[in-house]
Amino acid sequence: MRNRRLLAAALGALLLLAGCAPSGAGARTSAAGNSLTWGVTTEPQCFDPHRSTQQNAFIIIRNYVDSLIAKKRDGTFAPWLATHWKISDGGTVYTFRLRDDVTFSDGTRFDARAAKANFDYVADPANAADAASLLVNYQRSTAPDPHTLRIELKNPDSSLLESLSSVKLGFLSPSSLKKGDTLCNASRSLVGTGPFTLDSYTRGQSVRFRKNPRYDWPPGFSRHRGPAYLDAVTYRFLPEYSTRSGALASGQVDAIEGVQPLDVPLFKGVKGFRYLTGPSRQTSFTLNINYTRGPGADIRVRRALRDGADLDAVVKAVYRGTVPRAWSNIGPDNSDYDASLKNTWGNDPKKANRLLDEAGWTGRDGDGYRTKDGERLTLEVGYPQPYVRDNRDVLIEALQAELRQNIGLDLDLKINTAGEFTDQKATGNWSIYPNTLNPLDAGLELRQVLGSTEFLYGNVHGYDRKLDAMINRALATTDLERRRPLLAKIQRRAVDRAYIVPLFAPHYQIAASDTVHGLGFETQLDSPATSYAVRVGR
Amino acid sequence: MTTAPATTDRPADTRPVRPGAVARRRIATRVATGLGVMWAAATVAYVVLHSMPGKIEDILLGDQTYPGAQEAVAADWGLDRPPLVQYLDYLGRLLHGDLGTSYAMRQPVAAIVGDQLWPTAQLTLLSAVLALILALSVAIATAGRARPLRAVASLAELVATSTPVYWLGILLLMVFSFELGWFPVTADRGAASLVLPAVTLGLPMAGLLSQVLREALESTLEQPFITTVRARGVGETLVRLRHALAHALPPVINLGGWMIGNLLGGAVITETVFGRPGLGAVTLTAVTNKDVPVVLAVVLLAAFAYVVISTLVDIVNLLIDPRLRTR
Repeated sequence: MRNRRLLAAALGALLLLAGCAPSGAGARTSAAGNSLTWGVTTEPQCFDPHRSTQQNAFIIIRNYVDSLIAKKRDGTFAPWLATHWKISDGGTVYTFRLRDDVTFSDGTRFDARAAKANFDYVADPANAADAASLLVNYQRSTAPDPHTLRIELKNPDSSLLESLSSVKLGFLSPSSLKKGDTLCNASRSLVGTGPFTLDSYTRGQSVRFRKNPRYDWPPGFSRHRGPAYLDAVTYRFLPEYSTRSGALASGQVDAIEGVQPLDVPLFKGVKGFRYLTGPSRQTSFTLNINYTRGPGADIRVRRALRDGADLDAVVKAVYRGTVPRAWSNIGPDNSDYDASLKNTWGNDPKKANRLLDEAGWTGRDGDGYRTKDGERLTLEVGYPQPYVRDNRDVLIEALQAELRQNIGLDLDLKINTAGEFTDQKATGNWSIYPNTLNPLDAGLELRQVLGSTEFLYGNVHGYDRKLDAMINRALATTDLERRRPLLAKIQRRAVDRAYIVPLFAPHYQIAASDTVHGLGFETQLDSPATSYAVRVGR
Repeated sequence: MTTAPATTDRPADTRPVRPGAVARRRIATRVATGLGVMWAAATVAYVVLHSMPGKIEDILLGDQTYPGAQEAVAADWGLDRPPLVQYLDYLGRLLHGDLGTSYAMRQPVAAIVGDQLWPTAQLTLLSAVLALILALSVAIATAGRARPLRAVASLAELVATSTPVYWLGILLLMVFSFELGWFPVTADRGAASLVLPAVTLGLPMAGLLSQVLREALESTLEQPFITTVRARGVGETLVRLRHALAHALPPVINLGGWMIGNLLGGAVITETVFGRPGLGAVTLTAVTNKDVPVVLAVVLLAAFAYVVISTLVDIVNLLIDPRLRTR
């Protein structure tokens, strides 16, 4: 893998030197009239919004799936298929007023019964739909009239609005739902209310959409109304960075998603192209330290790990200054991010060394690592191979080198299998787990990585009960303004006690020919928005 | 055993063995061993996949969890039954031609593999043909020739054999697609889009085959019978094509057959670099996601391909080499 990356880097540089960029510059007004071709990193394994688990699949799925409401940049919500809503005093009943002019692309009406059918379908354990994790508190929904939807919860749940704005709880037509499992296949039975409908799919190659000519119900904040500008849009699966960049540079695709740092100078500020980076609202890439076992159970060791390296420099070196280092595990563009954490931790090797001395790690072995009672100060980072991407392993290796040199701590990166990690989860004996989460409500995100019921701490004894109670309280606080300080406190406690060491705030990149307009990012997903508002032309 | 006269009235003992019967028996043996190989491959893969760490339902859930999630997923896929029952069920369905449903893609495996088989077969066959043609021309042209010519050919072969497929693919793309614009990067423009991937996959194979073939040709050309042929005044080209080649080919055919089987590995990388449809990408994602039904289907297919190819290799050798026919 390392060699391949080096090769890719060398080739990217060659591409740059060869100056092949101008050949594609502006040469691209699509031959097929008003259509556009994307080069994207990921082919969805499953095209069903309720079942897909790949973050990058939603870039494509969003084109045919709408949601009840839409998340705005400031963290509040705009109307979408619901025009307005109200939450009961207890926070357990949500009443939505639905638009009355929305139809699925097969012509059937979108109404409260259709919405209810979707939620009931997802929440039913028999369907084993992935999105069920968003409806843990769902009791039932009712449709008092065709355009009123009442959702009843078992407990107040402040994450519900964000979950309802997620593509995972978007709507398929009730007749589609009957097809169950087979919806993962990109076929025409995937019927949504979105601005595009599926036209054709070639596995391993591309998926093509046609515009939905009746579409006139975009999210409340959309500046564009009516059907999409494009008649058709094709998403071509090009998993190699260099291939995508080359395809755009030579005019074989109009826009690409995912540009490696090395290729950024090919497009950024270059005539004929435009280069955009998205927000970072989801979780930052973070080391989650199991604070209940091994050397990591000692707060002094965790703090030494947190502060023993110059994280700014490491992140800058690995990503060539294209991404910021992180201060919290909640992304810096999230309205629930605690900005007060900035500059409060990190890069203090002197203090880190003092802490390790105090903790009794005073010996040194032949390799220069600290020891205690003959044992080396080792913390294992178990990183499941399927999740390794974006040079994240290189980042951890760079951190490993700094920590070894600065404080004699052995941050031992082990690339394991998803299976090995699930076994560690089941017994609670994982050591350090590096991850970012799929976009979720910030309260849910904090619960996923720190809460006592979730995948990391679900089987760990001796978790921080105070922190757990804080998380539960935040999730039960339906008023999002009042909830914000609670979430800030959780982030501060997690960073202060070094349960987490946030590393960097990833973002999506789009590069495109400058004849492509209206590109952007979806707030709830962080990833490129649908092709709804995209236009091609001078 | 004694043979009583009463039982000799059947002519079977003295009847000459018909060639057709021999062939039929050979074919039957072939088919039986082939099936055996496929069963063994599927079973070994099945056991290995299921004894790897991590419960399948947990892997499928990833970082997601909600009360009852594991149970729901396990029940959904029948993973809550005893392992032996699952295995027998798998074999039973296999006998009916049912390859099961992909865990990750939730579609019939037969449809997924069926979709992807032809693009990969196209790529593999074309690169094999290309490799064979290249190897034959280079080896025949350079065997036993002047030193500089052979040195150049050897060097080219060495470079071709040792160049990583990934690197070669990107390099070809950069020159012939991004820079010169002769070929498209993606596979939706018919035959033109097949050229670069086939060259990428075929070149390393050509390098190795050509080396082996030249060695074999050179040792053949030193044989006394070649001197005899030459003494009859036969031209050099004809000596090489008509007489030496037949002797030099069998090792190449054997090696080539084995390499075609190996091309699947190279196809994974080639298909990824070029964004081509095919079994390579499907296999890669299935293995990383522990998508057992898909992995098993690919294993079966690979075993089947090996059986077919080794049979073909035997037949071709039989045609080329008369010594084998008299056995």
